[in-house]
This record gives sequence, C-alpha cells and structure tokens, in this order.
Amino acid sequence: MSAGLRRGLADLTCRALQAILPPSLQSWGWAIRCETANIPDDTKALLFAIQGLCGLMPRAIASHLLQPFASLFGEGTPLPGGSTTMSIVQATMCRPRTIGIACAIAAVALGIVYLAIAGAPMRYLGVNAGALVIGLTMLALLGGSPAADQRWMGAAIVAAAGTLLATAFLGADVDGAARWVRLGGLAVQPSLILVPVMLVAFSRCHDVLATAGIVAAAAAMALQPDRAMAGMLALCLAARAITDRDRHAIAALAAGVASFAATLARADTLPATPYVDQILYSSFQVHGGAGLAVWGGLALLLLPAVIGWRRDAENRATYVAFGMVWLAAMLAAGLGNYPTPIVGYGGSAIIGYALSLLALPKLASAGASAVSRTPDATDSTQRDRTLRVGLA
Amino acid sequence: MSRTRALSPHARIVLAILLEAGGRWSHGYELARLADVKSGTLYPLLIRLEAQGYLEAEWQQPVDGGRPPRHAYRLTATGVQLAQANPPGDAAILNSRRREATI
Repeated sequence: MSAGLRRGLADLTCRALQAILPPSLQSWGWAIRCETANIPDDTKALLFAIQGLCGLMPRAIASHLLQPFASLFGEGTPLPGGSTTMSIVQATMCRPRTIGIACAIAAVALGIVYLAIAGAPMRYLGVNAGALVIGLTMLALLGGSPAADQRWMGAAIVAAAGTLLATAFLGADVDGAARWVRLGGLAVQPSLILVPVMLVAFSRCHDVLATAGIVAAAAAMALQPDRAMAGMLALCLAARAITDRDRHAIAALAAGVASFAATLARADTLPATPYVDQILYSSFQVHGGAGLAVWGGLALLLLPAVIGWRRDAENRATYVAFGMVWLAAMLAAGLGNYPTPIVGYGGSAIIGYALSLLALPKLASAGASAVSRTPDATDSTQRDRTLRVGLA
Repeated sequence: MSRTRALSPHARIVLAILLEAGGRWSHGYELARLADVKSGTLYPLLIRLEAQGYLEAEWQQPVDGGRPPRHAYRLTATGVQLAQANPPGDAAILNSRRREATI
C-alpha cells in the first residue's frame, strides 16, 4: 500500500469518526483527526485513526441510540465516559426523570406479575399496561411544553384543582364518596392523577396562584372526601413547610391539615376492592413471588427521590416532595382500603406517577454543570471553521 | 455525593504521565506512545477525565506553517490530586520508563 493511500485512508477514517460522533463529541473527532495529521509515519497515522474510530464507536452508537429519547431524558448531554454500559448507567443517573420512567416501567411490570400470579382478570393487566403507555405519552407530550415551564405552573395547579372540585360536586358517588369520573366504562380517579404532580410542582413554585390551587385541592379532598389523598397533601406540605418556611408553604400546610382532619372526622366505609386495596399483606398469602413483586415495585417508586436527593442538592425540595407523595400513597394503602399505587390494579395511579415525573428536573444540577462546559453548536462551528483551515 | 469508579491500570499510567509532565501540555499521540495504549483506549479516557474536571484541554496553533492545530492536555488541580492518589503499579512504571528510553 502506498504512503499516499495510507495517509488518505487515515484521513478517511477520521472523517468517518467525525460523521458518527454526536455534536457534543465533535471536538474530540477533530482532535483525533488533527493528531493523526501530525503523525509523520503514514502507517502509524493510519493505525492511530483506526484505533480511535474503534474506541469511540461504541460511545457514538450509544449516543445515537439514546437520541430518540432525548425529549424524555434531557437533550444535549454527552455520555460521561467508560464502557458503553457504564456510559448509559452514568448518564441515566444524572437524569432524575429518566430514572423515574425506568422505575415506572419496572414497577408496572412487577404489578402485572403480581396480578398474573394472583389470577386477576386479563383485562386488569391490559388496563395497567395501557395506563403506562398513556402516562408516558402524556409525559413525552407535556415534557417540553410551556405548561412544564415555571411561569405556567401556578395556572396549571389552579386548573387541576378546579378539576378536583368538579369531581367532588359532579363525580360518580359510591357510598357517599365522590372521587371518580366515568370515562369509557372505566372509573378514573382524578385525584390520583393530579394531586401528585400538583404537590411535586408546588415544591418548585412559590407564588399566590399555586398556593391558591393547593388550598382549593385540599378543599376538594375534604369534600369528596378522600382521606388517603388528604393525608398525602398534609404529609407532603408538612415536609415542604419544614424545608421552606415561607408564607405560601404555611398557608398550604394549614389547608392540607384541615382537609385531612375533615376526612378523619367522616367515616370511610368503602370496602376493600380485590387486586386494588389491601394487597400489601394479601400478596404474600397468594405467593411469595407475588409479594416480592408488590413490595419490590413499591420500593422502585421511591428510587427517583432517593437518587435525586443524593445526587442533586439544588433540587432536594422537589425530590422530598416526590418521595413524600408516593410514600403517603403507600402508607394509605397499608393503613386503609385505599388503592395500592402502580402495582395494584388501577390506571389512575400509574398515569399520576408518570405525570408527577414532569415536575422532576430532566437533568440533575451536577450534570447541568457538566453540560455547561460542553461547547455549544455555535462555538463548535466557529472552531471547526478554524480547524478546517488548519487541515487544508 | 458523586463517586469516582476504580481507575483502570491504563488510566493510572496516563495520569502518571500527565502528572510527570507537570504544567506542560501533552498531545494525544505522545500520550498513547508513552502509556503504550491505543488511541481507542486513550481518547475515551481523556473525554471522561475532561468531563469530570480532572483534565483541561486546549487547541494549540502550529509553530510551523501548514500544519494543523493540535489538541493538548494537562491535569487540573483536582486531576493532580487524582493522579497522586492513584499511582500506577510498579511494573507499569518500569514498563513505561523502559518504553520511553527506547523511543
């Protein structure tokens, strides 16, 4: 092979590497190309380029594979390093919302395992799987919309509170409790869908509108009445008031406690529903595997809060709120005849869990600082122009 | 709290070479030769070290006209600490010095 051909192949290899690298790693593609061009020996230059291509190809492929999920995971972050598997794991750990999506999918899968072992009707399994698809679709659609923007959070909380109040007055009544809305033959519980996302969003929102929305939601829980959701409000707002003692937090907490007290004062006579309520204890009686699926699935629900709290100090209030919301739902399921979230039959909690991920940051703050070091597209273009002149 | 996973022998030797260079800038081909690692091993490592703040990189314009610019690297203060805390094994140092002497 002639020296010219070897040099040409080396340059071609470098160009191929640049073509497959994501924008965030383009400068490294240029680095290898320029370094190759500086190696006097043609054979060594060719080997250098080929080895560089082979070494960075897994990272480039991983980046392209993750690209379709960029709107869910958070855009533009380079994979931090190591093997492809480690890169994906590390990149995921910086993305609380991605962790939440993975936990939601795993928990719903474990719930379906429980339902299957427990002999639940096949329709129940389909409803839970369908709810997951609906929830994740809504998350993808709303994840990048202005509604997820802080400016619109207050208005969104008020709108959700209005829906809860409407359910209290117009919803389907069962034994004196008006918590459900009939949609296509299914009884949907709006509070399980809306209250979690409202509470997690409220942890990031400090304005009168959002506070008014939470107070209205507390009133709706007292009117329905729903002891479990009122307890969720009280517990989450108490945590918010401890970490952030502003007047909005105190006012919301007062409303939450009053709502919970009101629900405690009224008897809740609803019996347990099979595959929905009281499954924390009964699942182990069905089968050991069913019990493990239920408890394992519930543990997964808290994982985004635990990981986010440890890795993203700037947004700890949000992770505390997220954790408290779902811990409260679990406590309610353990203490009374209230739905066991995600792992029991019922799509409302599944959609609610997916929607509550909207309030989690796409990218942990530590990851965000790493991104800020990555040159943006304009910088890259400018630098690339200079490099092309140098290589010409 | 973020954790740094255990460094590979290659990472340790590259860090040691960069540490030995002090404040002097090093280039990719030079590092690959001295550490006896392939560029496919070296660059992912450099990318990771740079992303984690252990390494700084800059583009250097060529001294001779007609040559392309070069990407150069040196350790940051935290990178120096990392390199000092993770020295390569004795055998790796000996091999590295032997190779350096024969270049």
